[in-house]
Amino acid sequence: MEAPFAVSVRHVSKSYGSTRVLDDVSFDVRHGSCVALLGGNGAGKTTSLKCLLGIVPFEGAVEVEGVPVRSRGKDARRNIGYVPQIPAVGEQDTCVAALSFIAELRRVGRDRVGWALETANLTAQSEMKVGELSGGMRQRLAVAAAILSDPPVLLLDEPASSLDTHSRRDLHEMIARLRGEGRTIVLSTHVLDGLEQLADQVLVLDRGRLAFAGSVGQLSGRVRGNRFVVNLNGNSPSDFMSALLVAGIPAERVKPAALPWEEMLLAASAPDPATQAERS
Amino acid sequence: MNAVITIARKEVRDAVSSNWLIAYAVLFTLLALGLSYLGQRNLGSVGFENFSRTTASLLNLCLLLAPLAALTLGSGAIAGDRERGTLTYLLSQPLDRWEVLIGKYLGLAASIALATTLGFGIAGVVIALQTSAMDVGTYILFLALVVVLIVVMTGIGLALSAVSKTRAQALGLAMLVWFVVAFVFDLVLIGMVSATSVHGGGLLAALLLNPIEIVRVLAIIQLEPDLQILGPFGSYLMERVGRANATIILSAALLMWVAVPVTLASWLFESREA
Repeated sequence: MEAPFAVSVRHVSKSYGSTRVLDDVSFDVRHGSCVALLGGNGAGKTTSLKCLLGIVPFEGAVEVEGVPVRSRGKDARRNIGYVPQIPAVGEQDTCVAALSFIAELRRVGRDRVGWALETANLTAQSEMKVGELSGGMRQRLAVAAAILSDPPVLLLDEPASSLDTHSRRDLHEMIARLRGEGRTIVLSTHVLDGLEQLADQVLVLDRGRLAFAGSVGQLSGRVRGNRFVVNLNGNSPSDFMSALLVAGIPAERVKPAALPWEEMLLAASAPDPATQAERS
Repeated sequence: MNAVITIARKEVRDAVSSNWLIAYAVLFTLLALGLSYLGQRNLGSVGFENFSRTTASLLNLCLLLAPLAALTLGSGAIAGDRERGTLTYLLSQPLDRWEVLIGKYLGLAASIALATTLGFGIAGVVIALQTSAMDVGTYILFLALVVVLIVVMTGIGLALSAVSKTRAQALGLAMLVWFVVAFVFDLVLIGMVSATSVHGGGLLAALLLNPIEIVRVLAIIQLEPDLQILGPFGSYLMERVGRANATIILSAALLMWVAVPVTLASWLFESREA
């Protein structure tokens, strides 16, 4: 009998020492849907995915395809393909060798390796070493590894965070294709950009609590006015202000972001000082 | 069990492709040949010593170097993967934690053992071709004992790795343990024997507490049962229980030195965050 939800999360809390990272989080993910977990650094996105995988101890209950991860983690993980934020397959291995290793661990035939490389559009790179691949290719290889055993649920941890616009679009297209094949997808991200076409539901995590659950459209409606959040990536705020003045934007229209969670979604993830330029 | 073998094979492949295994094998070849050559020069002729003399010379060197390599490489296994993020990825696969740990342990121990036997094997062939005295059995027995010591020390390194938060911390602990078992332990015991009335059962207990000392005594009992070079612990053991029983006791102790650290590492690994 099919479980009512592909992923079911009930009252999950998780602490690292005295720091509460997840606080009574509950949500369900329907079969074949795509859910985006949104939030800034430290919001609890990666920890949520680790709880879904059952690789950290936590309070509460998580079921993946009806299998409880706390008591039957190994069985639950058979239903999950995981794509880490930083691809973690061997740098010295060729793409084929890296996928063959995962195929062996997941007890699937070697013929699936060729299929996964083809699905990830990496057939031409099959004999290249992983360390020689571009960031986008590596991420696609990680997705290929995740789908090797054809798991019904895919978890992607900020898969596009280090990619350029082109690679990000490619990856989003690939995810959309996999979702179109009926897979359930849970992806964590810190940007709304590109999610409109991808995610059926958005869950916003703010300091470990579920702050919002709804569609991308509903979420966008909550971000008031016409404004931009700019991440300075370590550049000096005064240089940025000077550049704005040169561009004809008066200083009074620029203010440091208070970064409530709606606006934080639009900011990049790096913990650099962020400045918000508000258009009136 | 399939997953354990898959992970172990991957560890060996990684060791080969990262070149440390080759470097380690070359180092041991050069050390074995160098010791053999220099040993013969000291006897007044130029050439290589035969296996027995070479084996005796190499034993002390191996009792220092093999534990150092096994401890430091073992200590990097879990802590290093945790730092690189590869541990989370491995654990995200449908595996039990013990499968990951045992797979890494077997792969690492096999890699170090392979490098050691390869290094000494090449040296052994060269020495055999240069000398007339063939005591190959002794040499192979010596190699087997070194491999056992590697298996023990890799397990201890793995336990240190499982308990450490960072690779640097694990490496620091490994170096500390190596220093204690290779140098401090003997000095402290000698001091205790001189200053107190530690003898008999106390001596035996002290011997069994140090895997390097166990292998040293076991090696001497098997290779050259000379009471004078056995030292106080080995001499006591031989006098009390005889060669056969001493071999059994020491072998059992080594088994415990494999089982206890690996079980401890497994327990620590289960109870810690990924």
